Amino acid sequence: MRTKLFAFVLTLAVLFTASSAFADVTIAFSQIGQESDWRTANTDDITKAITSHPGWKFVYDDAQQKQENQIKALRNFITQNVDYILFTGVVSTGWDEVLKEVNEAEIPLLLIDRMPDCADKIEYEAAFGGDFVEEGRRQIAWVGEYLKAKGRGDEAVNVVIMEGTTGASAQTGRTEGNLAGLKAYPNLKLIAQQSGNFTRAEGQAVMESWLKSLDKIDVLIAQNDDMALGAIDAIKAAGKVPGKDIIIVGCDSVKAAFDAILAGDMNCTVECTPLYSKFVVDALEKLIAGEKLGKEIVHPAEGVFDTEGGIDLGTVTSQKAADVIASRVY
Amino acid sequence: MKNSKILGAVMAEVLLLLVCLMIRPDFFSISYQPSTGMLYGNIIDILNRSSEITIIAMGMTLIIALGGTDLSVGALVAVAGAVALKLLRWDVLEYNTPGDYTVCNFFWVLVLPLVVCTLMGMFNGFLVAKGGMQPIIATLILMVCGRGVAQILTDGKQFTTGYAPFKVIGQGAFLWLPVPIIITVVVVAFMAWFTRKTAFGTFVEAVGINRSASRLSGINAAMIIFIAFAITGLLSGISGLIYSSRIMSNDSNNAGLNYEMDAILAVVIGGTSMTGGKFSLAGTVIGSILIRTIVTLVYYFGIVSEATMAFKALIIAVVIVLQSEPVRKYFAKRKGAAKS
Repeated sequence: MRTKLFAFVLTLAVLFTASSAFADVTIAFSQIGQESDWRTANTDDITKAITSHPGWKFVYDDAQQKQENQIKALRNFITQNVDYILFTGVVSTGWDEVLKEVNEAEIPLLLIDRMPDCADKIEYEAAFGGDFVEEGRRQIAWVGEYLKAKGRGDEAVNVVIMEGTTGASAQTGRTEGNLAGLKAYPNLKLIAQQSGNFTRAEGQAVMESWLKSLDKIDVLIAQNDDMALGAIDAIKAAGKVPGKDIIIVGCDSVKAAFDAILAGDMNCTVECTPLYSKFVVDALEKLIAGEKLGKEIVHPAEGVFDTEGGIDLGTVTSQKAADVIASRVY
Repeated sequence: MKNSKILGAVMAEVLLLLVCLMIRPDFFSISYQPSTGMLYGNIIDILNRSSEITIIAMGMTLIIALGGTDLSVGALVAVAGAVALKLLRWDVLEYNTPGDYTVCNFFWVLVLPLVVCTLMGMFNGFLVAKGGMQPIIATLILMVCGRGVAQILTDGKQFTTGYAPFKVIGQGAFLWLPVPIIITVVVVAFMAWFTRKTAFGTFVEAVGINRSASRLSGINAAMIIFIAFAITGLLSGISGLIYSSRIMSNDSNNAGLNYEMDAILAVVIGGTSMTGGKFSLAGTVIGSILIRTIVTLVYYFGIVSEATMAFKALIIAVVIVLQSEPVRKYFAKRKGAAKS
């Protein structure tokens, strides 16, 4: 009996050492939750890339959009003594303590997507996220350059900006970019700004009211595609032609926006990609090899998609939506 | 007493519209829009977009008159949309360009979401009436997990459809008016008939004022509560169909978000007391229209996004204070003094 037990324990011990020797790197990811199609694509992309990588073990936690769940998950990761932690915070504040605990446990931290406010007070190995300000700037630049290309560069044009949920980092960043962009194009005149809460229904309602209160709307800048899609319905209901009477620029580049561009209802969408796996895998490989990465936030390469393509925005040239739609995954 | 409370809401609404009239006389202009076959104007928008809340608030009025609240209505709106879109687009879990077709028979697309929501309402009603749970706790269950159910049904994705008959519910025209207005009128008329021409309304008030006394006088209080929650579930389903038809997709995260609060607010502005008892459906309709008027004003006059919430809160606070017991007594006294 005794020997049997001993043999059993021995086998277990051997198995344990063996398995830990094979799966030598454990990567944990604390994700916000499944709040949108964008987030789902983000999770799927990272999950697929890490689980399929040889020698890597993936631990995933879905926080269901609650900060306390994320804090719990991070502490669990510390207890499990994982090798790397990927982190994006549901809100920007309140992470100081738990992230310092991660530092004390000497687990390398990779910040992705949403940066915590305390980023300058903690140690992290790499940071990767979208550039909302640049996205906002590109929205305006596209309109300005598009009008120039059409020979309407000097024409006074009325612009309305439909903002996202007030206070969300995407809203503050894109609004900043929008307003900065407007300075470069004096012919674009901002006549109204309002929040459409990033939803189709509210985008529809806001546009409906604008069409009655404002004399002439030439351009709609919507800070995400959903609001633009809602606004298209409202424009149609008012007997106007979206995409022609009113130029519509969205943001995110979801597939529904591509459909709208192909149908001629929408003119342009500025990409905000959820596909982070290339960067994440690349960064992890470098870190495992002992390389050091910078602390500055790395931005993904993002495109701008429109009906005809070829509009030069300085940092990027727009692509024709019809050419790339087949390769879109979200 | 009851009428004076409705009067407060009516006066607030009229005042608000008068302010609009002074700032922008064209606020009230209504024209005919040949491309949609509908009348076109701000007043139409207010009535149209208040539909979802008005319909839900009809049920909420009964529940508040019974001394309870239903927090799950917003989540049920999301559930109805998810069920409808799932039936319309059963074939696609992967994204495909939406077309003018439905996978399931359109009859089921309309009926099943309503059945599911009614069952969920019955679940609430059962917990409250038979389980003896506090309504706020009982309905919290579905408020929290309802959206989860909607997410699971649609695999966490947003389905989009182009099916024309479905579009009629939220964007169609009937008698030159948007269909949601027509649906609202029918629902309000039915509820008015049901509560005032049958004994149901009186029973609700009796149970709301004193449940034990009503039981002793032979009223099946549990059954009344159960029916009120079932009706509210059904109405949330109707509201959910309108919402999802407006955007021709399901939006499990945002559909019906905070509707429970708006519906409760509409009932309270309309003069029905949160402590239960007497209720006024007409007051609730006005309350709902008032809430939507505020939102439309914010959009129309371009009040900056950051100040929107504060602006809404300010107007609602004024209305509620004007309706409060001490303020109304004060005005009644002054009126009496002026007469004598």
